[in-house]
This record gives sequence, structure tokens and C-alpha cells, in this order.
Amino acid sequence: MARQSYQEKLETLREDILYMSEIVMERLRMGLDALEQKDNDLAREVIEGDSEVNQQYLDLEQQCIELLALQQPVASDLRFIAASFKIITDLERIGDLAVNLGEYTLDARHDLFPDVDVQEMGEMTLDMIEDAMLAYDSEDIDGCRELAERDDDLDHFAERASEIVVRDLIERELDSPDEVERLLQDVSRLLLTIRDLERVGDHAVNIAARTLYMVENDDELIY
Amino acid sequence: MTNKQMTSSETEQTDDQQPNPTPGTDSLADRGTDIGVETSSRDDPATVTDRTIIESRDLDVYYGDDQALNGISMEIPEQQVTALIGPSGCGKSTFLRSINRMNDLIDIARVDGELFFREKNVYDDDVDPVALRRRIGMVFQSPNPFPKSIYDNVAYGLRVQGQDDNLDEKVHTALERAALLDEVEDQLDSSGLDLSGGQQQRLCIARAIAPDPEVILMDEPASALDPVATSKIEDLIEDLAEEYTVIIVTHNMQQAARISDKTAVFLTGGNLVEFDDTTKIFENPESDRVEDYITGKFG
Repeated sequence: MARQSYQEKLETLREDILYMSEIVMERLRMGLDALEQKDNDLAREVIEGDSEVNQQYLDLEQQCIELLALQQPVASDLRFIAASFKIITDLERIGDLAVNLGEYTLDARHDLFPDVDVQEMGEMTLDMIEDAMLAYDSEDIDGCRELAERDDDLDHFAERASEIVVRDLIERELDSPDEVERLLQDVSRLLLTIRDLERVGDHAVNIAARTLYMVENDDELIY
Repeated sequence: MTNKQMTSSETEQTDDQQPNPTPGTDSLADRGTDIGVETSSRDDPATVTDRTIIESRDLDVYYGDDQALNGISMEIPEQQVTALIGPSGCGKSTFLRSINRMNDLIDIARVDGELFFREKNVYDDDVDPVALRRRIGMVFQSPNPFPKSIYDNVAYGLRVQGQDDNLDEKVHTALERAALLDEVEDQLDSSGLDLSGGQQQRLCIARAIAPDPEVILMDEPASALDPVATSKIEDLIEDLAEEYTVIIVTHNMQQAARISDKTAVFLTGGNLVEFDDTTKIFENPESDRVEDYITGKFG
């Protein structure tokens, strides 16, 4: 095969992006665990670890730019690099959202809404990222399209969860200003958690959309 | 179907594939009849048309027993840049030269099939190849100005064709269109050979466009030039396509990607494998072989 070192660089890029996705999924898992177990140490670990994800992002961005500048990729190689360039942004954002979970953990005081299963929602998003990256690695277009459908389930879950919180707020009778203050913070934190996990799902869909473009030059999932 | 064995009388007009005719011999000039093709009423120069100006149908070219082109059928649009790419020996230059019958100059070349210029088969018996070449000009890989002044280089084709009214104006216009006028305006009497390589090539382009052809064929026009001169030629090619149809053979795939509207990929055996919009070829080609070739996995 011609251009061997170029082909090796493309393969390295793919492997490095898969590695970045593993780190990001681990951070999201840690953020969810911290939230569930109210583990402030774990939360701080997630927050401090974000600089590592950011550095990975910058390194991979540089790899993409160098390939574009020095190798003048075309056709499937070009689409692979263009898709990868976008996917690392989604991974970096998922890392930021994991940091948010760490921060909510540090702010958390009470768990007033046991009916909202944040952990289940978190599991859904982790599965989505994992499957999106699997589709990217194996160029699985069916997997990409299926992921977009699963995001609808996640969105419904988020909607229902938000409704539970708001309904509870309306029905709850509050006695003291202290109780109002406490509730306000917990409610905001919970609604933000739901929103952030819903966004993780959106990033997983973005990864699938770019993968579909990469494999088939098809932009149907890109919005 | 035309089957034309080239005659020796035609080969006498130039001595090789890159003719550098001696001034004064009128070797490429045509004093006889026109080629029987309607001249286009050229639209607004800025308008991009999808009209076909050149069409080949099942074109085969043989050099002796070797087949250099295998059943090429393609329609080349007017006033656009069409790039022909492919590995060495794929037939792209042969195809380029078959458009204005430069293959006539090679004794052993034989052409089957049809090649239409404005719906007239250029291999019909009543077509004068010399007159054809006035309408379909050519620029070669190595700059080949005549050992004459810059002015006379550009004026040469006009004079031999008897188009010497308003000669100054026509020479200036050609130099301007070739993006050379600013650099040589004060030295029109100095030798064309004193110019730099890039300037010489633009002089050759000025010479090619001075008689106002409709199509300009370019065979690797920038491959002998440095990057700065190359980028000037590339800018020029894009500008030329506003008024002319440009067909360019290049080994530099990125050059094809940068400057062409359409790209034809020829692969081994003289086959045209894919012909489409340049963006399509370089983003998502249909053929796996084209994909492998342009990404460098080929060979």
C-alpha cells in the first residue's frame, strides 16, 4: 500500500479518539457515581481531571490540522478527518458535562426527589456514547441511525423527569423561607442535571451523525 | 465511425509533439477553409453554462498495436475547467491531444470513434486540423516561446492568420488576459526567452489566446514551474474559464481539485473510470478504484 506513514497516522488518529472517548465515559461514570453517593472526593477528581480531557482534545485537534495541512486528504480519508475533527468537540463537551455533575455533587444537600432516577438516565447516555463510538470505529451506519431513535427515548425520559419535579413543586406546601431557599437550590440542581444528561445524548447523536457522513457522505442526521 | 490513419503531410507541420514552429513558416496557420463548425455566439463571459462543447463517443486511440484509449465517452462543458487526472500511461494526454488532432502528428497514431467539437466530428474528412487548432489552442508542459520579442510572440498567431488589424490592441488584450501585461508592459521589444519560466508560460498562454480560440488545452502547464509561478498560472486558468473552455491534464491532484469544475479520472488501460463534478470526485467518488487512486492507496 502506498503512503504508508499517512495511513498509519490516520489509524493513530482513530485509536487516539477511541481512547479519548473511554476517558470521557469514565469521567461521566465517575460524575454519576459522585452524585449518587454524594462523594465529594470523587466529584473533585472529575472536576480536576477535566484539564486532561481538554489537553487530549487540543492534541487531537492538532493531529487533524496537521493531516489536513500536510497530507491533503481527499474522499473517504477527508471525510474521516472532518468527522473526527467534529467528534472530538462532542467528546470534549461530554467531559464538561461530567464536570457539571461533579459540581452539582459538591453543591448538593438533600435528595428531595427520589422518583427521578438520574442514574437510569445516566446509564442510557453512557450506553449511547459507547454505541456511537462503536459505530464510529466499525463504520456501522445502521448503528448510527438507531442511535438517533434512542435519543428520542432519552428526551422523553428527561421531559417526564422534569414534569415530576415541577408537579411536586406546585403541590408542595412550604412553611418557612429556609425551606423555600433549600428547595430552590435542590430543584435547580436537579433540573440542570436532567438537562445536562439530555445534552450528553445529543452529543452521542452528533457523533453518530458525523460517522454517517464519514461512511456514506450522508448528512441526514447532521442538523 | 471514423477510422483515420494519419497522413505524413499533416505531420510535416511540426516536428514533434510540442511544436515550436519556426517564425515565418506559417506552420500552424491556416489560410484555407474553415473547419465547417458554427462559431459560438459567446454569452456573457461571466455566465457558466452547462452546454457541451466537446463530446467524445467511444473514442479509441492506438499507437501501432498498443491501445492508448479505450472507448472514451464524455461530454465536456463549455466555459468551465475540466481536469484530466490519472497515473502515467493512463491515456489522459492522449485524450487531450486527440481533441485538437495533435495525435495526427504522430505517424503511428490511429483514432477510432467520434470526437465532436460543437457537434461536428473533428475526424470527419472535411475538417482541416490546422484550422481546428486555431479554435482549440494548446499550452504545453515546458514553456516554449519563440526566440522573438514578447510582442512578436503574441502577435505571431494573429499575423499568420491575417488578423493583423488593431494588432497593438489585440496583443495588449492577450497579455492582459494572460496576467502578464503589468510585468512586461515596458519591455515588449525584449526577447521572450529573457523572461522567467513562469512568465514564459504566461507568454505562451497569451500567444495561445491571442487568436481568440474557444477551447484551451493545457498539458501539465505548471509542472515545470515553482510554487509562486504555479499559483499565478492556477489563478489565470480560473480567470480564463470565464471566457474559454479550459481542459487541463495534470499530475498534481490537488491542482485539479483547486482549479477545476469537472474532473475526469483515467486509470490504466486508457479507461475513463469516473467523470463528475470535482467536488464529488474528491469528496465521495463512486468508484473504489478512483477512491484508491486519489487517496494514494493505488499502486
